[in-house]
Amino acid sequence: MASDVVDAPVVDATAVPRPRIRVQNAVKSFSGRVVVDVDDLVLGDRPIEGLIGPNGAGKTTLMRMIMHSTPLDRGTITLVPPGGREVVLSDLPAYALAHRGVVKSNQVIMDFPKLTIWDSTLLSVTEARYERPARIFSEQTVFKRHEEEIRHYLDYFGFDDPDGFALSAGEKKLLDIVRCLLLKPTFLLLDEPTAGLPDELTEKVMEVIRELGAAGTSVVIVEHDLNVIWGLCDEVHFMAEGKVVLRGDPQSIREHHTVVESYLGEGHV
Amino acid sequence: MPIEWLDAFLITGLFNVAMVTGLALLLHLQLGLARIANFGVVGFWGTGMYTFGVLYVQVDWPFGDPWQFLVCAAAATLVAGLAGLLIGWLIADLDIDGVLVVTLGFATAVQILATTQDDITGGARGMGGLGFPFDIGTVKENEFLWLVILAAVVAAILFYVWRVHRSPYGRSLIAVGGNEPLARSLGKSTLRTKLWLFAVTSAAMGLLGAMYGVMIRFLDVGQIGVGVTLAAMVGLVLGGTARVWGAVVGVVLTAGVFDIVIQSYLPLPREWYTQAIPVLREAVFGATLIVVLLFRPLGILGDMQRDRLMRKLHGE
Repeated sequence: MASDVVDAPVVDATAVPRPRIRVQNAVKSFSGRVVVDVDDLVLGDRPIEGLIGPNGAGKTTLMRMIMHSTPLDRGTITLVPPGGREVVLSDLPAYALAHRGVVKSNQVIMDFPKLTIWDSTLLSVTEARYERPARIFSEQTVFKRHEEEIRHYLDYFGFDDPDGFALSAGEKKLLDIVRCLLLKPTFLLLDEPTAGLPDELTEKVMEVIRELGAAGTSVVIVEHDLNVIWGLCDEVHFMAEGKVVLRGDPQSIREHHTVVESYLGEGHV
Repeated sequence: MPIEWLDAFLITGLFNVAMVTGLALLLHLQLGLARIANFGVVGFWGTGMYTFGVLYVQVDWPFGDPWQFLVCAAAATLVAGLAGLLIGWLIADLDIDGVLVVTLGFATAVQILATTQDDITGGARGMGGLGFPFDIGTVKENEFLWLVILAAVVAAILFYVWRVHRSPYGRSLIAVGGNEPLARSLGKSTLRTKLWLFAVTSAAMGLLGAMYGVMIRFLDVGQIGVGVTLAAMVGLVLGGTARVWGAVVGVVLTAGVFDIVIQSYLPLPREWYTQAIPVLREAVFGATLIVVLLFRPLGILGDMQRDRLMRKLHGE
């Protein structure tokens, strides 16, 4: 499984203009072991794409490289907005990616321990000009501007006590996703978004992702719950040993002998 | 002005308590919200004090007070703010050990510079020639008025800090202190936040230093020792690093007890005040810090209560 051969059918998806991310010659090693080595990969051709592969394949590291959470050893990562100028994401500071619409949810639980759920969502939507030291009277302005959209998501996902803190792992995971949604991403990367969530909430998350994809946001999901991948994605990338070795529609990837042999097992198909 | 009931020791003691409260409030923004442990508070305070003193005494201004004071104090505030910008930039990506070393190093550098550049600072001999920007009568009356002005400045700092807790800026500081990578992923320039924080708080520390210089009217390098940082740090930690009123409660219980109760009201032998009390003060402050961190790390007032505050702010 050493080449980047694409032998599953590639779906033509140029109909809807949407942002793409191009990863070129991107390499990352840890302690001499190459974890990611991608020659040329375009993400975002289709509204919702999945990234699957065995543990250690490099999926999360690739996502982190795109977001600057993990620095590249070499290579470039470029955002290609529809009809706009290309932006080399790997030249931007990490915080600037969200300003370009590139947002990622986290695989491990990440939260602000001293901020309530409302706090956390307000933080996400607050523009930089309101966060300057002199703007000590702008809380109500920010709250009024964004109350409706925040309340929409908090109600939709049914947080127990939005004025309090996110307590359970599931609530923190959900809050992480809500923070990302409030940033109005044009390119959303989701790293195991439904891990630890009950079925009902998983379905709600999937529904929101579908709506985003239909509205023009490019979504890439890393997920071990393959029902989410098969049920949601328009295209699937299969990674192994740091490389993307296959891409195609969910059905063809699901049945591909390489995927079955190295990842799914015979009983899954 | 009928202030016979006040003795000079009490005015000095109250001035010290108000000033340390101001420093502790500013430190609260750095340590309590953004979780940056600045051990060089005295460096910024001393920068303000000496910048003010040098400009006030050494420069031949074409105008007198109060303009001379205002110009020199503004310059001292600006220089301390720029020092804060520099130090903030240096520590932006450092862990807590690195922050400790850089901030302590900065405070030491300020003290060494004030000592060695004796042609402009007076060095170990000290520098006189400072005075109040007004003259309303006796020294005691002038000192009292200066105490009232300082109290107004500290009250303004308290109000600012109180408002910061209720603003998006305060929320961004708490976010930076709680999870910086997550804040960055949400589009927050955490470097800019830290630089603004250090510039503004250091500038205010510098202003307090300049005002202290006016009060004592004679600068010497012994005044910019670690004791100032220790007093602000101990007061804040004892009261509660995360609470607005933590700085006030803590400083009243520490500097208030030593600089007012012991200095003014306890019938102690006179010779103790020059040698034993200052040493005892620092020893007790240090011990208090250890005890509080061991047994009540969140201080007397405990942790911040964002849930209650958010309910109050947004009416749930």
